[in-house]
Amino acid sequence: MTSPLIERTDAAATAGARLRRVQPTLVLAILVLVVVLAWAVAPGFFTPVDPVQGDAAAALQAPSFRHLFGTDATGRDMFSRTVYGAIHSLSGAIIAVTVGLVLGTLIGVLAGSIGGVADDILMRLVDVLLAIPALLLALSIIILLGFGTTNAAFAVGITSVAAFARLVRSEVVRVRHSDYVEAAFGSGGRYLAVLVRHVLPNSLTPVIAYAALHFGTAILAISTLGFLGYGAPPPTPEWGLMIAEGRNYVATSWWLTTLPGLVVVLVVVSANRLSAALASRR
Amino acid sequence: MALRIPSPRFAAILALSTAAILLAGCADTRTAGSDPAAVGAPITGGTAVYLEQQTYTNLYPPAAGFYPNGGIMNQIADRLVYQDPETLELEPWIATEWKTNETATEYTFTLRSDVTFSDGTPLDAAAVAKNFDLYGRGDADRALTVSEAINNYDHSEVVDASTVKFFFSKPSPGFVQATSTITSGLLSPKTLDLTLEGFGAGNGEDIIGSGPFTITGEKIGTELTLAAREDYAWGPPSVEHQGRAYLDGIQIIVTPEDSVRVGSLLSGQADLIRAVEAQDEKQVEAAGFEVYAPQTNGVNNSLNLRFRHGILSDIRVRQALLAGINRQEVIDTIYTANYPLATSTLSKTALGYVDESATLVYDTAKAEKLLDEAGWTRTGDGIRTKNGQKLTLVVNEAAPQPRSFEALTLISQQLAKIGVDLQILKADAGTYAEAIQDADRVQIYHSIVGRADYDVIKSQYYSTNRNVLLNRNPQDNSIGDPKLETLLEAVASKVTPAERAAADKEVQDYLAAQAYVIPLFEEPQVYSAAGYVQGFGFESVARPSFYNVWLNK
Amino acid sequence: MSYILRRLGQAVIVLLAAFTGSFLLLQALPGDALLIKFENPELGLSPDQIAAIRESYGADIPLPVQFWHALTGFLSGDFGYSVQSGTAVRDLVAEVLPDTLRLAAFGFLAAVFLAVSIAFLSTFPRLAWVRGVLRSLPSLFVSVPVFWLGIVLIQVFSFQLGLIPVINPSPAQELILPVLTLAIPISAPLAQILTRSVDDTLLQPFVAVVRAKGASRTWVLTRNVATNALLPTLTIAGILCGELIAGAVVTETVFGRAGLGRLTEQAVAHQDTPVLQTVVLVSAVVFVVVNLVVDLLYPVLDPRLTRKAGAPA
Repeated sequence: MTSPLIERTDAAATAGARLRRVQPTLVLAILVLVVVLAWAVAPGFFTPVDPVQGDAAAALQAPSFRHLFGTDATGRDMFSRTVYGAIHSLSGAIIAVTVGLVLGTLIGVLAGSIGGVADDILMRLVDVLLAIPALLLALSIIILLGFGTTNAAFAVGITSVAAFARLVRSEVVRVRHSDYVEAAFGSGGRYLAVLVRHVLPNSLTPVIAYAALHFGTAILAISTLGFLGYGAPPPTPEWGLMIAEGRNYVATSWWLTTLPGLVVVLVVVSANRLSAALASRR
Repeated sequence: MALRIPSPRFAAILALSTAAILLAGCADTRTAGSDPAAVGAPITGGTAVYLEQQTYTNLYPPAAGFYPNGGIMNQIADRLVYQDPETLELEPWIATEWKTNETATEYTFTLRSDVTFSDGTPLDAAAVAKNFDLYGRGDADRALTVSEAINNYDHSEVVDASTVKFFFSKPSPGFVQATSTITSGLLSPKTLDLTLEGFGAGNGEDIIGSGPFTITGEKIGTELTLAAREDYAWGPPSVEHQGRAYLDGIQIIVTPEDSVRVGSLLSGQADLIRAVEAQDEKQVEAAGFEVYAPQTNGVNNSLNLRFRHGILSDIRVRQALLAGINRQEVIDTIYTANYPLATSTLSKTALGYVDESATLVYDTAKAEKLLDEAGWTRTGDGIRTKNGQKLTLVVNEAAPQPRSFEALTLISQQLAKIGVDLQILKADAGTYAEAIQDADRVQIYHSIVGRADYDVIKSQYYSTNRNVLLNRNPQDNSIGDPKLETLLEAVASKVTPAERAAADKEVQDYLAAQAYVIPLFEEPQVYSAAGYVQGFGFESVARPSFYNVWLNK
Repeated sequence: MSYILRRLGQAVIVLLAAFTGSFLLLQALPGDALLIKFENPELGLSPDQIAAIRESYGADIPLPVQFWHALTGFLSGDFGYSVQSGTAVRDLVAEVLPDTLRLAAFGFLAAVFLAVSIAFLSTFPRLAWVRGVLRSLPSLFVSVPVFWLGIVLIQVFSFQLGLIPVINPSPAQELILPVLTLAIPISAPLAQILTRSVDDTLLQPFVAVVRAKGASRTWVLTRNVATNALLPTLTIAGILCGELIAGAVVTETVFGRAGLGRLTEQAVAHQDTPVLQTVVLVSAVVFVVVNLVVDLLYPVLDPRLTRKAGAPA
């Protein structure tokens, strides 16, 4: 918080205490993310098994030392597919969040800070985006661009632009009308300077929280597209698609959805943990 | 704060899901429907809950090839002729007898006189004539299509109230069988005046047939209720059961998720389900439920090689693909014993079948040799190339067929071993519809067609029918292989069964010799029912029949 | 009053823009509904037959004329027929709309209830571990795939425990599992934003002042924090309503329920323009109305928004 009013000893003490208390989980979260990033960068280092070529004789085997995550219906090693899938899923989620965050923040900040007619026009544009069902928008974009993780991620990103824009705008408006920003304007601050120094940083807390959540949502949204049959083209080992494809086996081969699903849960929770730590350190 | 807590939470979720999964396998074990001898006399009454995989789209009979449509049509509409699903013999039903001229261009049917539609109108010669005038000629103004089963239809003539004659412009030897299929379901004259929209989902109650059930309720997209007709008295004479259906009604509920359909059956919430996927068969049988796998009796589940495409125009490449696919492994891995290995383009149970298994041999060494000879070379384990072009082929995912995607995934793994890159086209319906009509985008077409007549092979391959090999190029309408066309025309113009069987044999021999088709397996439709469900039957291409069903509970 | 009129005017513009935008989007997709429906080889139609059908549908009329027909049709209340099934679009939508609205309304209420409970309980200073559990719930809620959640809920509560049938449930039972499936992921962003807002608000100086004057913590939360935190919640709610209307597709598919979501998904797949245009219209109307209400509530909930000039603190 940049407002001097907030710089109070008890608040700082609370923050410090919180920081000390949470260290082990933060370390764990970072560890998870580092491992998954390493999967994405050098999958061959973690598993010698080909993620695409299976051994039909070993189809649908339960997890074992040989196949940590078991095998799928054509005998492909699920652990290997999960490791090789990291690059697709992480980059997909990053693309989706980036598209949503950048476009959304741009629209939201412009609308919230300029106000007037510009605000009206921009927000009506956002309304149009929101009024067309997200599902229809996402599916149409994928059909237009073709099937693929990047295209699906882009579609998911576009559908979240409106949400980011509205959130950013409402925060900017809230902060702009708050007492200390009014005071900053009152004491002769230049428009752009006040915007950058006071309005933006103070508006961003809920936005960052939402972006962190959206990282996970994006992985799952891509997975949902897979569930509906609009996922990555085969044989891409994308996590969401793996979870979606494995659901038909939920009663017979539980590992097919559960284990990649747990990896997704771990990654999402870790990313949230990290973003919470970043937010509280500011 | 996030990670500190989750561990017990994860454990709980894991435990919950694992418990769900473990328990799912052992849901209450009922005693299976023991042998018929031990079962008492049929009980009349009760409503059967039947879970469908997809929602029906339309009840215009020629559109009944789509399983959900046909599953309803078979309950509400009778046909002129009954085809025994076991022997495939044609037997009387609404028609008591029929005769044809020597060239198979004129047919005369004699009808029983006691049949009425459920709106009270009599099912007489005029009604039958009106039915076939529509199915045989279609009506483009109402977007109503011609029935695929009826060839060369010209006109009808009502001789008297119980005699009707049909005339054809060219020989149409498959016509009697065509009158027995669900695509020739007899509907009330008033229903036949509907447009395609009128036959659409949401108007089920307006579709009036003479069948043992009538549609009495509908929730668009999710549910359909059928009730037995009390005065039904015209079941096929060769069927033991006469009179009204045993069931009071059928509730058809659309349940798209495989796991939910199976789980509902196992937990006693449903009586019968369609589309039990191969991976669930074991679980269903282990729980003591009956698995039914009626065959579709037509062209097998196959990969059709579009020989007019540059790469596949070389017979050595086609033969190499055939030899490079381990079909037995596909069946052992992806399917079950209910999916017999194909031994020809046609199913063993289809009319006109001949064994071509000598031409369908798995031999990777031969495959590699053929590809080498054809000039497709490789370094190490890579994909083969020729003049800088990669040996990449695209196959469509046949979404309506069981586990098409898994089977193709395995096949692409097998082909990778001989240096062929097989890609699976997974696309939205619009892109898909365009791509499958273009050999430059889809070189291998995965499909089947079920119909218990000699004509079925022509339906699949003839230029103006399904044309799955793209022998007729849709862009310029040119024909690539005139010999195939001639052979297929013979199937539809010969008159006697012996001649037609001989014509079918020629086609199968030719397709095998040219390696145009890689048949995979003989496709069943797999259903399951609780043990107390008795008398569950199927028509000749595996659409369910509820007429004889009764609940022993 | 003029503000409301202006907003209404804008709402109509948004509706028109959404209608036009979606029409153009659908036209840009490869293939068309007739191609998908009739040129499938499985139907075995000859090229001549297909040509005749295309002509009878008027498929090759120029685009602007098609758009004009669609627009005037909609304005006169004629939504046309589904190309895929041939059913009147009015019937299709009328059939599913009540189900969808019921599911969405209960789903949203349950999500708000969940989120508010999590946010309020998680700010209590005592019982640190309970607080930790509660604070980690949103990230867990949001990291479980909805279809998987639905399938597991069915497996456990319906198939194993036999508590709630999925086939032929009673009216009281039928909504429990779908509402839960819908509400859990939706409650996550709400809860997270609420929790942050509550935290931020508790750090604001006026809270310390009020508490120093002897106000109880609960009193502060309900009186001051609640109103402050409500704004971002309302913003999100306005956004979610669109998602609730057509985004419930997964829940509907898993539970085999009819609904606008499934209708939309199938219509996109078959490029069934009349159905999609109607879906867009319905969801846009719902969206515009809900958001109009939210916008009108803003100033009521936060008087600071109505102040144009900055007043010194």
